[in-house]
Amino acid sequence: MYAIECKNLTHYYGRKLVYENLSFNVEEGKILGLLGKNGTGKSTTINILNGFLQPNSGECLIYGENTQLLTPETKSRIGFLIEGHVQYSFMNIHQIEKFYSGFYPNWNSAPYWELMSKLKVTPKQKISTMSCGQRSQVALGLILAQDPDLLILDDFSMGLDPGYRRLFIDYMREYAKAEHKTVFVTSHIIQDMERLIDDVMIMDYNKILAQQPVDQFMASFRQFNITLSSPAEEIDMDGIAVNIDKVKDKIEFYTYSTADEVKGYLNSKGITFTSFEEKKMSLEDAFIGLTRKY
Amino acid sequence: MLKSLLYKEWIKIRLVVWIALGLSLVALINIFLKVRHDILFVDASNYWYSFLFRGVTYFSILKFLPFIVGLAVAIAQYFPETVNKRIKLTFHLPVSENGVLIWMHSFGAGILLAVFLTVLVLFNAGSAIFFPANIIRASLLTMMPWFLGGMATYFLVALILLEPMWLFRGLYAAVAAGFVTIFYTGASIGAFEPVLAPIAVITLLLSFVVLFTGYRFRKGEM
Repeated sequence: MYAIECKNLTHYYGRKLVYENLSFNVEEGKILGLLGKNGTGKSTTINILNGFLQPNSGECLIYGENTQLLTPETKSRIGFLIEGHVQYSFMNIHQIEKFYSGFYPNWNSAPYWELMSKLKVTPKQKISTMSCGQRSQVALGLILAQDPDLLILDDFSMGLDPGYRRLFIDYMREYAKAEHKTVFVTSHIIQDMERLIDDVMIMDYNKILAQQPVDQFMASFRQFNITLSSPAEEIDMDGIAVNIDKVKDKIEFYTYSTADEVKGYLNSKGITFTSFEEKKMSLEDAFIGLTRKY
Repeated sequence: MLKSLLYKEWIKIRLVVWIALGLSLVALINIFLKVRHDILFVDASNYWYSFLFRGVTYFSILKFLPFIVGLAVAIAQYFPETVNKRIKLTFHLPVSENGVLIWMHSFGAGILLAVFLTVLVLFNAGSAIFFPANIIRASLLTMMPWFLGGMATYFLVALILLEPMWLFRGLYAAVAAGFVTIFYTGASIGAFEPVLAPIAVITLLLSFVVLFTGYRFRKGEM
């Protein structure tokens, strides 16, 4: 059963194509991380999912409803964290809790107040005067109190220091797994995602480069550091190479193939090397390897 | 849900509302102290004569008050929704998007109307001490376009603030400036009486245009 189904999405900003015929699904109970460089369409996808953007063609469904026409009942099942932890900052923590509690039938204020008790804020302090980290905890607390089935978190790590990022991730992971929640998350800080997500979707300009369980992706996508016999050796981006970075005689070879397959490939091309080793990658390394540095 | 929504709107505008009521009260006290003073120096019949036949109004201090209050309430209510596109939070609430806008707008307009009615009732009560009924009626008819202008200002500023595209904001602002000016055009006492009903209807219709910008925002215009 899918919480999110997007089918054949095509969108342009003016004449600029964002993506064409993009399709993906998010299974219920999974945490999916959407990764991509700036301008690849992450925010566009989030806006389409939340009904704030009508794609040129195609559609997204959340719990079977078109996201452009979500009913209040379905909206109440979705928790939405806006990029930068935007909230009604003219309210204080009591006012905002009172405000939201009137909208959601399953409202449970206990986790909200548990998080608020950790913040060093005065009861009447407006959210606008809080630090970014404190605001993130307010936004997170409100989502936990709403108790939605699906959480859409847009760049949750923006502006947070490492401590608050870790706190956010650990809370979110524990909550999502314990309560069987579905999470669709984007972040610029990919090392955070590694601790949080089950599945990864990596977007490049106009297309999806990878969508699979993150463990499977990390097990199958590899980096080999190779020293060539001569800097003059040329190596082409064809065949099994997904990406190659060459600086003088050193190359970083990114591929879904095994060491033996890469060696066989190099031999078949007549490329000789003096050293060959597989480098263990973090998710961030793999992301850069797949999408290139620039 | 409705109670929660109105609670949020009240938090945004309450300071402006109390300041508006305070300023209005000060303006009214000023008006009637001046009227009392003038009537003591030139007798009442002369004072009434200058109002009825020379067009000397004793309440001109109130002229731009509704405009300023309408502008201030619209900014206090809708500007916070536009910062960081916070209106997304409002549209994400489990209520229909048009429904939420209608309630927000009705609440703002209702509060504005309440402030204006309070001012008019107090003005009427104060005037009754010094003037006969026909002068009070003429005064109220003269002021009516100013208060309708305050309502129109509220509706049009909300439209401008919620509009996602700067080009459209500029166009709306130009139209709004032209339209609102009509309400404050200098005219003789009671001159607007024949057109009060049509401009009241137009002002009421303006209250619905905010739904158009809400729709444009939700479709992703930027």
